[in-house]
Amino acid sequence: MEDKIAVQIDDLTVAYNYKPVLWDIDLSIPEGVLMAIVGPNGAGKSTLIKSILDIINPIAGSVKIYGKPYKKQRSLVAYVPQKGSVDWDFPTTSLDVVMMGTYGSLGWIKRPGQKEKKASLEALEKVGMLAFKNRQISQLSGGQQQRIFLARALVQNAAIYFMDEPFQGVDATTEKAIINILKELRKAGKTVIVVHHDLQTVPEYFDWVTFLNVKKIATGPVKDIFNDDNLTKTYGINYKVSVQQ
Amino acid sequence: MSNAQIEIQLIASLVAIACAIPGTFLVLRKMALITDAISHSILPGIVIGFFITHDLSSPLLIILAAASGVITVVLVEFIQKTGLVKEDTAIGLVFPALFSIGIILISQNANDVHLDIDAVLLGELAFAPFDRLIFNELDLGPKSLWIIGTILLITVGLLFAFFKELKVSTFDAGLASALGLSPVVMHYGLMTVSSITTVGAFDAVGAILVIALMIAPAATAYLLTNDLKKMLVLAVLFGVGSAITGYWVAHGLDSSISGSMTTVLGLLFLTVYLFAPSKGLFSVLYRQKQQRIEVSLLTFLLHLGNHEEDETERHVKHLNEHINWQKVKSKSVLDLALKNNMILIDNDIVSLTEKGQHFTTEAIDYIVTNKNSEIENMKDRFFLFRG
Amino acid sequence: MDLQQYIELVFTDYTLRTITLGTAVLGAICGMLGSFAVLRKQSLLGDAISHAALPGIAIAFIIIGTKNSSAFLLGALISGLIGTFWIRGITSKTHLKSDTALGLILSLFFGFGMLLLTYIQKMPNANQAGLESYLFGQAATLLESDVWLMVITTGVSLIILLLFWKELKLLLFDADYTKTLGFNIKFLDILITTFIVIAIVLGLQTVGVVLMSAMLLAPAAAARQWTNNLSVMVILAAIFGALSGVIGTAISASHNNLSTGPVIVLVAGVFVLFSFIFSPGRGLLFREIRFRKNRNDLQLHKTLSFMYNIASTHEDISHPHAIKILNNFQGFTRKSLQKLEDQDYVKIQGNMWSMTKSGYHTAANLYDQLIKEENE
Repeated sequence: MEDKIAVQIDDLTVAYNYKPVLWDIDLSIPEGVLMAIVGPNGAGKSTLIKSILDIINPIAGSVKIYGKPYKKQRSLVAYVPQKGSVDWDFPTTSLDVVMMGTYGSLGWIKRPGQKEKKASLEALEKVGMLAFKNRQISQLSGGQQQRIFLARALVQNAAIYFMDEPFQGVDATTEKAIINILKELRKAGKTVIVVHHDLQTVPEYFDWVTFLNVKKIATGPVKDIFNDDNLTKTYGINYKVSVQQ
Repeated sequence: MSNAQIEIQLIASLVAIACAIPGTFLVLRKMALITDAISHSILPGIVIGFFITHDLSSPLLIILAAASGVITVVLVEFIQKTGLVKEDTAIGLVFPALFSIGIILISQNANDVHLDIDAVLLGELAFAPFDRLIFNELDLGPKSLWIIGTILLITVGLLFAFFKELKVSTFDAGLASALGLSPVVMHYGLMTVSSITTVGAFDAVGAILVIALMIAPAATAYLLTNDLKKMLVLAVLFGVGSAITGYWVAHGLDSSISGSMTTVLGLLFLTVYLFAPSKGLFSVLYRQKQQRIEVSLLTFLLHLGNHEEDETERHVKHLNEHINWQKVKSKSVLDLALKNNMILIDNDIVSLTEKGQHFTTEAIDYIVTNKNSEIENMKDRFFLFRG
Repeated sequence: MDLQQYIELVFTDYTLRTITLGTAVLGAICGMLGSFAVLRKQSLLGDAISHAALPGIAIAFIIIGTKNSSAFLLGALISGLIGTFWIRGITSKTHLKSDTALGLILSLFFGFGMLLLTYIQKMPNANQAGLESYLFGQAATLLESDVWLMVITTGVSLIILLLFWKELKLLLFDADYTKTLGFNIKFLDILITTFIVIAIVLGLQTVGVVLMSAMLLAPAAAARQWTNNLSVMVILAAIFGALSGVIGTAISASHNNLSTGPVIVLVAGVFVLFSFIFSPGRGLLFREIRFRKNRNDLQLHKTLSFMYNIASTHEDISHPHAIKILNNFQGFTRKSLQKLEDQDYVKIQGNMWSMTKSGYHTAANLYDQLIKEENE
């Protein structure tokens, strides 16, 4: 299962206003893993995802999705941005937001039809939000908004899912629901890459992990590399997250 | 130069100073557009005041107009708090409504009111010397000179008295309240001063050009310095300079004085925007280009450091393939590294020199500990040639 | 002049018909495109652009030397676009913030425009320029050809909006995501900005430089309060805009000395005020009512749980207690007791009350519910 490489990153360097944020990252993400990207604030976790998705232009390096540049492989990739990155007062409904996930495969000008609507309703059901399909998005709780975002990504029916802090500001029930869906995706052979904050839950949720702090510190299976040594290297201070689980 | 000419220039300069001082704080507090709102919405205040006093330079009129300015601010903030619309929409809704009321009041009473709508927008500085303050048959000079002089005196007095408080509340509202300085008092104090100044200047330069006198000198100064005191001084100088230059341009072209004052301000801003030493467009573009190549160089050196044992990663051709650079860029980066004695090229295999290694280790250290400012310092120490 | 006479006049009088039609179409296009400006948080861009258009109009006159609406429009469009992109240049390349950039472009361009206008006034052919109408707008100067131009532009922008509806909606909501799906966001951005600038420029002759921004914002801000659906919002904004135009024209035509522009803006302002207060979902009035209701419910619940505490000390929950003991409890009134009885939570017999089963059950659940609501 781990012989195919889903995402291959070579020598990636990114700078904001020419201040370096990511330096010389080499990273291979094997197909079918559920991977956490961890690191302190300002370590460039979101930036890494954004430059893989071509939202940010790196100053050096290359990214390949199944051996080809992102521009040619868009249909294989789905993205869940940070919840705070959009205006939740926007006049639109849950179903509408989820339907946006189908826009990419539709291309320019073509409108979504019955097929797209059906797929969106199914995705809403999967995240347990079908009852809220006509709800205005500002009237949803933080956890519900996050589920809507997840449903939007599910509709894209991709091979690789990128998620930026999906557990931020959500309740415990939603967190469980999300992680179950992610585990289902992995079972179906998809690759899931998550920017993650809570170190305590890493061993429980993920099977693969990347430590990042401007440079890549380590990457590999959680059981092999999620240890105090790498945590200390990443977070600078003498970090003790007990990994007894 | 006739007496009237000197008086006009004096009034214009005082207006410019009185505007530049609150303007500086408004620009720093990201509230520049509130002047836009105030300058328009004082119109109904002026019209109503004029109905009552029949005198454009009566103190009551100034107080009424300033009050309607403050009401505007309160109204805008109230709408913002309801969360029904986004912040700037509130401003955009309030002032046109009040301005419309003002215009309708004027046109409905056109026979009683000698308020010219053009003068509202433009002001008429050329006529200012004719309206004189006469006390006991003694000619004390133009009325507007006294009005704006008084406003300026109050503004300067408040500035000196509350400089420290203003400074703290502008740059760090949280700290200000922790120190027991009320940011709310500072906020409404500043709004009141801005309203009064706008009313005082309105007569001379009109509603829209007040905005220019408030924002442009401060914005221009902000492109040249980050120091509050220097910024205030520069803003005042720019304001006075453009006022006087503008007067003579208008004299030469036989056109509107306030229009040419603004145009001079505009040209001044354009010049500084393009050529300011470190924040101007050209130096920003130049620095970005230079930094782009320098960051590329750092990237490249770091890459070499990372792959000391692997020769294929250090092959010249690798630059084009993995690092994904165009030929021209790779060449300029290589040249810069060679010039700075950072690398050696042997048989198309690039390796770091001792100096290069030293530099790389320090760079990694600084970057990982997030002390990006140190990089500039390092560049000074290590680079013989900049990008 | 009564309403019927006025309506007759609109259909028979050429000038009035032209003006009414013109302001209606203008209101519609402004409302439509204004919705996008408001949702993009570019509300005040309209103000800056309308002021920035002035020098363009003046230069157009200096070049061709006669009054010509389409040449003026072109000049206004060019200088409006220069202003827009300079604002972007200032905010992206310097540390000046967008409010400063907007204020700068607004006042500096306008000042330069005024310089040119006073210069033009000295020219021999100045009196045919009619440039003053651009300051406050003069609907009376609208010609049939102007109205046709507005209709055509509205039609074109309607087609563009329909074609790129999905893409524009996506861009407005989530620009980064739009990019990952492979849409060219730069193209979409320039497209929508250009059409907003066109709408502003079209309105200058009618409502003038100073009030143009309200024309753009007010219908959209009002429409937003009534719906949570983007397409409904755009349609409503167009209707509000058109109505403001028609009503404003009617009011100003039936009075002396009332210029059309300010009246249209005030009518639009009334729409906004009405929507802010009376819209069912978001309006201030309903918000206040909901707030009061919540407070009353809370008080009722407090009383209920107080009674629950008393009742639960007894083995039989329906055991009667004296009403007197409730008197010390804050928030308890005869009225609230009556309400509790109406909801069948308690039974009252003389001076005694007893809890019903459903009341006991509800009270027991109150605590759980509260916790749940906080988690949601």
